[in-house]
Amino acid sequence: MNSTSFVEIENLTKVYSSGKIQLCALKDVNLTLAEGKFLGVTGPSGSGKSTLVNLLGGLDTPSSGRIKVQARDICELNKEELALYRRYQVGMIFQSFNLIPSYTTLENVAFPLLFAGVPKRQRHQRAAEMLTRVGLYPRKDHRPAELSGGEQQRAAIARALVNQPKILLADEPTGNLDSITSREIVQTLADLNRNQGVTVIMISHEELLLQEFADAVIRLRDGQVVEQQKIR
Amino acid sequence: MRMSDYVEQSFSNLARRRLRTFLTTFGVVIGIGALVSMFAFGQGVQKNVAGKFKELELFNYVNVLPATVQEQSQRKPALGPSAALRVNSVEGMKEEPQQAPVLDDDLIQRMTQIEGVESAFAEIRFPAMVRLREKERFSLVQVLPANVCQAGLSKLLAAGEPYASDDANCLIISDSLLHGMKIKDAKTVIGEKVELSTLRFDPNLFSPAAIASVMQGNELPFSRDSYTFTIVGVTERTGFGGFVPVRSDIFIPPGPSEKMKKISLTNIGDFFSAADRLGQGDPASRERKGYSLVTVKLSSAKYVQPVKQQVEDWGFKTFALIDELKEIKRAFIFMDMFLFAVAMIGITVASLGIINTMVMSILERYREIGIMKAVGASDRDVKKIFFFESGVIGFLGGIFGLALGWAVSVVINQVANFFLAKQAVPYADYFSFPWWLCLGAVAFSIMVSLAAGIYPTLRAARVDPVVALRHD
Repeated sequence: MNSTSFVEIENLTKVYSSGKIQLCALKDVNLTLAEGKFLGVTGPSGSGKSTLVNLLGGLDTPSSGRIKVQARDICELNKEELALYRRYQVGMIFQSFNLIPSYTTLENVAFPLLFAGVPKRQRHQRAAEMLTRVGLYPRKDHRPAELSGGEQQRAAIARALVNQPKILLADEPTGNLDSITSREIVQTLADLNRNQGVTVIMISHEELLLQEFADAVIRLRDGQVVEQQKIR
Repeated sequence: MRMSDYVEQSFSNLARRRLRTFLTTFGVVIGIGALVSMFAFGQGVQKNVAGKFKELELFNYVNVLPATVQEQSQRKPALGPSAALRVNSVEGMKEEPQQAPVLDDDLIQRMTQIEGVESAFAEIRFPAMVRLREKERFSLVQVLPANVCQAGLSKLLAAGEPYASDDANCLIISDSLLHGMKIKDAKTVIGEKVELSTLRFDPNLFSPAAIASVMQGNELPFSRDSYTFTIVGVTERTGFGGFVPVRSDIFIPPGPSEKMKKISLTNIGDFFSAADRLGQGDPASRERKGYSLVTVKLSSAKYVQPVKQQVEDWGFKTFALIDELKEIKRAFIFMDMFLFAVAMIGITVASLGIINTMVMSILERYREIGIMKAVGASDRDVKKIFFFESGVIGFLGGIFGLALGWAVSVVINQVANFFLAKQAVPYADYFSFPWWLCLGAVAFSIMVSLAAGIYPTLRAARVDPVVALRHD
């Protein structure tokens, strides 16, 4: 393995057990990714894509194996440290956007800063900057229900980046969007990746978009990497 | 997360579900309100009743009663050192083998010699018809020496002043009696003449013929004697007009009382034995049986015990309100405990309401908790957010509970005073809100709510973000 790798995954296995039934979501996955790359992850439903992203995002812990981010094994972090990792190192976006319905766009974007202990005025200032960057500032006082799908996803991207993380994890961010909007969103992610050096790992079924924007694509099936394709 | 953010988050989260927050908080408000008003009542009664007694110097009085024959026989040794006592030795009384000491003027004189005794006076009450401004009312007249009147009654006067001499032909009338006569302004009666008609049991009238005439609707076999007095003072409505819990509406000095023909009574039993006992005001016959009650006024409550001891050694029964106070205080403790138990039931039910609301809230905000964790909230952050929400419910419940308790107590106080005023009880605050009660109520409410929030909070912290954020 390359010691300069930004993300380094070794023999990563995740087994879910419910009662006597054991489900192996990831099986001996090995992967390296350099800083500032755009990695696409694809594969059929139930192939372990989301599990991989959740493990990378520190939302879940593996059954065995290692995930090193900037040479630090996040599997060895305790709950508090893992929370800090999620807060400052990674940003996540989801297929269903996961914005808080009762909050305005600005409040949603400012939300992660709350846990970082940033004072209210600065929170709103930074959130406004992020909204400007994704072109959503005029809609800052609207609630998610008043936004289109694409706008909601852009708000979610702004929220994911407000703490200036190094990695952006996107779990099927275009799954709920039409093709034109999907392209815009992936374009936004690619711009952030190129202009700001944010490492992006994106799950998507849309091969064409991945081919167009990703630096590399891996294909998962039954919890295993079955194909690694380098595009650029 | 900053403290101010926790507070702001809690308020805004609770404001999102206003109705539910209101209902849950209302449960706490009722519990705390009950607790507060009950404690305030306990405090108020203790403080104001004891305070009122003290103000009226009721603790400075000892009542002396003659011991009954039976009691006397149980107290034989007590007669020893008081050989000088006049005992009942009148002929024709041989039916009573035991001889009891007598409460007479001589003894009153002797009692005034005891250290700490300011004065001692026989408690004489008699019924009389009061005639003022063409109106008549039947009332109890109490004989009160001028010095006691000045010391004890002057504080209670709504108008005028106490009489200065034991021989003045003056009286003090109660405001409630005036009210009964539809006289609203107490000041106007000062200086007016009032006629007291005493009833006297007349053996001459007590004949079969007289009884027959009563049956036919004629007057009872009592004769009436009328005496004229000048009103010098009006007492305000008070339940403490006398020094025993019997109310008198007219107070006259002993001088004129001596000259009046009347039957005297301090209790209902006297009514039936009055003719024999007080010989219709004849001083000679009064000495035979003595008074049925003598009130001793002390300069300070600290003399109560020694004076009681001395008088009991002479063979009398005594009664002092200060002894009762201990009993009263004990009763208050029990009452407080009872009230506390009732309030605790309310609080327990309110706590269950909080638990229910918080658990519901967590189920509803399941995804939101997942989002919190995804954007970097630690379990501790999540716990604190929900803990603060419970605390805010408790805080609001405490504040509004205090307000409710206060409002309820004001209403009850007004209603109670309205009805008690009809019974001539002076206005008093039966509720007291010391600062520790107000602070304690809010603190207790917060504590209870936080305790109720423990389980929901732990549940919130256990939410698995992967499950919570899963796309449906």
